[in-house]
Amino acid sequence: MSRWLPFEWIAGLRFLRDGWTQTLFILAGVSVGVAVIVFMSALLAGLQSNFLRRVLSAQAHIVMLPPDEIARPLRAGPGVVQDAIVQRPAQRLRSIDQWQTVLAQMAAMPQVAVATEVASGAALAVRGEASRSITLTGVRPEGYFRIVDLPANMVAGQLRLNSEDIVIGTDLATDLGVAAGDKLRVTAGSGGSATLTVAGLFDLGNRGVNERTTFVALRTAQSLLGLTGGVTSLQLTVQDPYAAEVIAQAINGATGVRADSWIRTNLQFFTAVSAQQTTNTVIRLSVGLSVALGMASVLVVSVVQRSREIGILRAMGARRGQILRVFLIQGGVLGLAGALIGSMLAVVGLLAFHASARQADGSELFPLEVDPQLFILAAVVAALTGVLAAMAPAMRAARLDPVEAIRG
Amino acid sequence: MAETEVLRLEGVRKSFNLGLPTEVEVLHGIDLTMTSGEFVALIGPSGSGKSTLLNLIGLLDRPTAGTLRLEGHDTRALDDAALTRLRGHSIGFIFQHHHLIGAFTAAENVLMPMLLDRGRPDAAMREAAETLLDRVGLLPWRDANVGNLSGGQQQRVAIARALAMAPALVLADEPTGNLDTKSANGVFNLLREMNRLNRTSFLIVTHDPRLAQRCDRIIEVVDGRVVSDAPVPRP
Repeated sequence: MSRWLPFEWIAGLRFLRDGWTQTLFILAGVSVGVAVIVFMSALLAGLQSNFLRRVLSAQAHIVMLPPDEIARPLRAGPGVVQDAIVQRPAQRLRSIDQWQTVLAQMAAMPQVAVATEVASGAALAVRGEASRSITLTGVRPEGYFRIVDLPANMVAGQLRLNSEDIVIGTDLATDLGVAAGDKLRVTAGSGGSATLTVAGLFDLGNRGVNERTTFVALRTAQSLLGLTGGVTSLQLTVQDPYAAEVIAQAINGATGVRADSWIRTNLQFFTAVSAQQTTNTVIRLSVGLSVALGMASVLVVSVVQRSREIGILRAMGARRGQILRVFLIQGGVLGLAGALIGSMLAVVGLLAFHASARQADGSELFPLEVDPQLFILAAVVAALTGVLAAMAPAMRAARLDPVEAIRG
Repeated sequence: MAETEVLRLEGVRKSFNLGLPTEVEVLHGIDLTMTSGEFVALIGPSGSGKSTLLNLIGLLDRPTAGTLRLEGHDTRALDDAALTRLRGHSIGFIFQHHHLIGAFTAAENVLMPMLLDRGRPDAAMREAAETLLDRVGLLPWRDANVGNLSGGQQQRVAIARALAMAPALVLADEPTGNLDTKSANGVFNLLREMNRLNRTSFLIVTHDPRLAQRCDRIIEVVDGRVVSDAPVPRP
């Protein structure tokens, strides 16, 4: 009997030890429940963080675009009749008006981490008899590569963007039969044409992107696309990616330039994540509730089994509050111990799943980043759930009439 | 040695199912006093109200009417917490079935009333428990699980536990009813010895007339009334 523990702890722990089969069963139930909750939470967090990292390392948080061209209605006058149907005009490749001023304005915003200009448009890459349609992206390397981490994805050659260089994806290189150092003929939709040297090859992990996306120097793109001195978009990263939509709306209001956040352009992803989170929450709550009810039912049985002992303790001078705490402590201890065992089970499960579940290319499906706070949270929530689950049985025990209890 | 009053009951009545058509009065105005060091037998046929009377005296239940004073405290004025405290300090219980707590050892069972009172165990409590176990002849079994002791030994542990808080009054409900003759004799002798050593008052419910005759005084209850209350004549 530890001299440091008060009666309630001593009795609660002894009762748990004394009924060890019951204790083991309920502990197993709590552990499995906590393991499921922790495993699912860590898995979902890992998958989401992986997806977000992939999305955010391959695109800007906010893209500013010139406003869409719209049909101009003629002013009303004699002999002018308004058509019932107004056809939407084709969208020409246009530059953002006074983009240098807007870019400086963006760079000065405290929420903005990086702001850079891009000139991009459709083009055709030709090598001998083979040709492929491509997106020609003209960038200023020192700005753009802080948004898209292309240097980390280079697989051949160099990431060099002089006026006659082009960097292409591995799949386009395969389709056209080129390697680093070879020449390509690039013809833009506007008619501009140039022969460029393949400086390097990248692999962004997406076949579509590797087939179509190419990078050239900003001036080269401007020249080929007929956008002398102009840019088709301004691309920004912000300090808090999750605030991107709010910032985009503020930019739109302040500059009149259309600003699309990555949240809006990936709306389907967010809907899927939200649905997944809702499902996950429902499952976790259901598991938690089942565990709590299981714990409560076992403790109710324990109170019934120990009612005579409770009566004796009351006869010997145990106060109602002491009896109440004996059972609340049992609930809390079961919850806490179950959380510790369950967390360990979850880690083992995560390690096993991480080792076995792989993507098609053999890389990991999700990064194994288990937040220690998750375990602390699981322990606190499980202990509180245990105490709450024990509340009804504990109150029943505290209210027992000693005469009835001793009589049995 | 001056004898002080430990217990006084005046006109104590107890009814059950109060206010219901099934209301029944089981004790009809009990008057009773006990002084320190008395060793009293409470006898009567089954259903006469002995257990109800014992529950009232043990502060496990409240009278419907009348006054019950324990060590001078008028229990009518006390709330549940105060009654519990007074019960813990002034009364020891010995039941027919030992009613020890199986999750604890013999010494821990004896120590339990002190632990309930003081909250945390300490060396003095352990020492007091071992002294009591020594007096009932069970010191070598102090660390034994009470489930592994014989019926007589378990009742001895229960006696030691009842004396742990040095109460003014020990209530024993058929303390030997579950034991063979030899063990019953041993337990009764032990109760007597504790009574003489500590001047603790004992009120013992028994159906055994031979044991009752070995007490100082016999109170007989029939149909909820004290029909006789007289000292046992000694040759």
